[in-house]
Amino acid sequence: MAAVVTALPTKTTLQPADQAEVAALVRQAYADATPLYIVGGGTSLDYGLPARDPGMALSTAGLNRVVDYPARDLTVTVEAGMTMRTLAELLAKERQRLPIDVPQADRATIGGVIATNFNGPRRYGQGTVRDHVIGITAVDGRGETFKGGGRVVKNVAGYDFCKLLTGSLGTLGVITQVTLKLKPMVEQSRLMACVVPDAASAERMLAALSASQTTPVAIELLAGPAWDDNRHLAAVGRAPAGGMYIVVGLEGTAAEVEWMCSRLSQEWTELGVEMPFPLGSSAELWQDLIEFPAQGESPLVLKASVVPSGTTAIVEAARRIDPEVSVQAHAGNGVAILKFARFPSEGLSRALVGNLQPTAAKFHGSISVLSNPAGTEMTHQSAWGGIDAPFDLMTAVKRQFDPKDLLNRGRFVYI
Amino acid sequence: MATAVLSETVKKLRAAVGVENVLSASSELLVYECDGFVIEKNSPDVVVFPRTTQDVAEIVRICNEANVPFVPRGAGTSLAGGCLPVGGGVMIVLTRMREILEINLRDRYAVVQPGVVNVWLTNALKGTGYHYAPDPSSQGACTIGGNVATNSGGPHTLKYGVTVNHVLGVEAVLADGRIVQVGGPAEEPVGLDLVGAIVGSEGTLAIVTKVWVRLTRNPQGYRKMLGIFESCDDATNAISEIIGVGIVPAALEMMDQGILTAIEEAFQFGFPLDAQAILLIEVDGLEAGLDQQRDQIVELCKKCGAREVRQAADEKERLKLWKCRKQAFGAIGRLSPSYCTQDGVVPRTQLPHILRKITEIGTRYGVRIVNVFHAGDGNIHPILLFDERDAEQTRKVLQASNEILAECLACGGSVTGEHGIGVEKIHFMNRMFTPSDLRAMANLRGAFNPRGNLSPDKMLPTAGGCGMEQKHPGRRAAM
Repeated sequence: MAAVVTALPTKTTLQPADQAEVAALVRQAYADATPLYIVGGGTSLDYGLPARDPGMALSTAGLNRVVDYPARDLTVTVEAGMTMRTLAELLAKERQRLPIDVPQADRATIGGVIATNFNGPRRYGQGTVRDHVIGITAVDGRGETFKGGGRVVKNVAGYDFCKLLTGSLGTLGVITQVTLKLKPMVEQSRLMACVVPDAASAERMLAALSASQTTPVAIELLAGPAWDDNRHLAAVGRAPAGGMYIVVGLEGTAAEVEWMCSRLSQEWTELGVEMPFPLGSSAELWQDLIEFPAQGESPLVLKASVVPSGTTAIVEAARRIDPEVSVQAHAGNGVAILKFARFPSEGLSRALVGNLQPTAAKFHGSISVLSNPAGTEMTHQSAWGGIDAPFDLMTAVKRQFDPKDLLNRGRFVYI
Repeated sequence: MATAVLSETVKKLRAAVGVENVLSASSELLVYECDGFVIEKNSPDVVVFPRTTQDVAEIVRICNEANVPFVPRGAGTSLAGGCLPVGGGVMIVLTRMREILEINLRDRYAVVQPGVVNVWLTNALKGTGYHYAPDPSSQGACTIGGNVATNSGGPHTLKYGVTVNHVLGVEAVLADGRIVQVGGPAEEPVGLDLVGAIVGSEGTLAIVTKVWVRLTRNPQGYRKMLGIFESCDDATNAISEIIGVGIVPAALEMMDQGILTAIEEAFQFGFPLDAQAILLIEVDGLEAGLDQQRDQIVELCKKCGAREVRQAADEKERLKLWKCRKQAFGAIGRLSPSYCTQDGVVPRTQLPHILRKITEIGTRYGVRIVNVFHAGDGNIHPILLFDERDAEQTRKVLQASNEILAECLACGGSVTGEHGIGVEKIHFMNRMFTPSDLRAMANLRGAFNPRGNLSPDKMLPTAGGCGMEQKHPGRRAAM
């Protein structure tokens, strides 16, 4: 925790024990006009613009209770500071799960995952955070507690604060409690992988996958040294220079998974793939796919979101900047995490404006910075893609919820 | 609207969008005095049909200049008065913006104008192997713009999610006439999820002029079952069992004997009329897994006392069963001249309780209630039968409705799963939400719609209600 808090311009960490204390602390901060930096597990503090104004850290670690778990309704209500590991263990007892893949689950909190809208490989088949949050309670920048949604799986009463707060980086309210829609655990989970020699054949394979008779839960496109050196992927061989790996996640009943494995082998063989390898139960590789965003040191991590057919072009563009870049793309969704081996020699802005942003724009998307630990050239334009999004409207929303701009000041998209 | 302001506004609107796209004669406006919620009525002063986004922006500017309220409307199939023009003003009807602009299968999205009828997109996608998942029962008439406004559901939302789970982006005209695009074909736009805020905002935040929707692969196969039960209790217990063991069917719908009689009369499907309740259960997905799921469901239904579990013989029978379900509301005309349908939600384990309570409430008020609903979601649709010309009956129906919804809240549920708050349930907002929840909602509205001219008096109760019954401005029509 100590290292975490020194990353922020804070000397004090507040650790409220419950929602009422959160509200009281924010009311006090409002009276004193003190900026508050919200900290869950501290796993994503690099995300967003660096905090500059001195303030206090507000930790949600004390908010870690189960409020209600009516397992037969497939819903759970928990406080926001609960770690993803604790939550997963709770749900596993009832053979249920929240199918959101998050690295560092023993630290990452559900509130933090919602605030950063963090989604992993299974997003292709299982949906994202916004599809699973059905109720939310938060404390706004005045210290007022408000909620949206409820505890039932279908509900259109009032505005959908569950969606509005998902991905808001804690800037509209301190998330204190959430109700989640759950899924039953699956009987079986397997991975299949293959090597593709270049970007063009990768796109051909991805297009075919999107129309496959199988129903993957994950379609991953991997590239770079991090994957070349992965021993769980070694069975499919090493990608040649300019090559990539495709990994497909298949889940369901034993009969379904078996059928999908054999069908996909057939589809890939017809496409000329030489060694389509089912990777057994492949729990270790699943874990590597989940942990990738948090693993290793990188001077710059970017996230691209484009239409799925633009995924390979993004990988190519990143490789032009740094041939040693390691990439994990949730290719079925057009979302790619680009982990650079070295900071772009031409500088961040140039790398973005001259190369990555035009490629992303061509595929209707954008690039944002996930992590830039040195903080070099972190401006609004470089962090949020310099695109034509309605930032003014977002700023108007922010002012309504946090008129003194106390919650994670200066860190998000507002202008 | 004052006569001078009205005639000036009509003149400007005609100049902006053409005489043929503006209605102002009272006989022509009558159609627009309500939606599918017929208890409250009020005519707009003008109805205008934009054909482009720029038309919408121009109309909004004219309304703001004249300081008159304006309200968007799709096909008017909504059931809670969401497009009732409270206080009159200009109604912006989007049904003439009805092009499907793009279908992109590789990237799994389509771009449509708001007036595209839901089923047109379904039809346009036939043979492609993809579909647009939200399928409200009114899909033959309702528009995708309207679906976005109300965050519509439908039978298949149990597995596939509601409208908001399938909208990637919207272009919209804000209350001040600005045109914005939020989201788009790429899945993860930068910044706040304003798409999520706009979907389901019942036309109070913005007027949607273009929608990027997600397309879903068609399942490889289906198994459709018909569980026949001797009592509603047994049927609702079966629902609870199926979900409880972790099966999430594509759809799980219940119909009670009252509605079955009407449906059978209308469609002659061959439903057993002595059954107290029927469950329509559909599982879809890979052929390799379907028989196992079907067998499990059959077993659970039988365990809960099902008399019989039939299977749809073929695709033709399956589609006919869906037709019966989706057109059930049309068959109600055989039971009574008017009806009021409610849209409460309870946790699924509470279904047996709420069904018993509905029967008890109906008996106490002497109101006949039939049920056809999205059981798997816990989303009930009790249909209260009455004659709107009879003030006493109407009063009882409103009271019985309120009691049913209050009981849903007492069970930890919601007063609306898919129809919206509109004007109908506005008085429940104070019961479901605290004053600070409602202030937060007003804050959001304030960012989008600071003058409040866009869809006034909808969804949020006006301040200062303080325990008093919220006014229902149009309700005089039926009382």
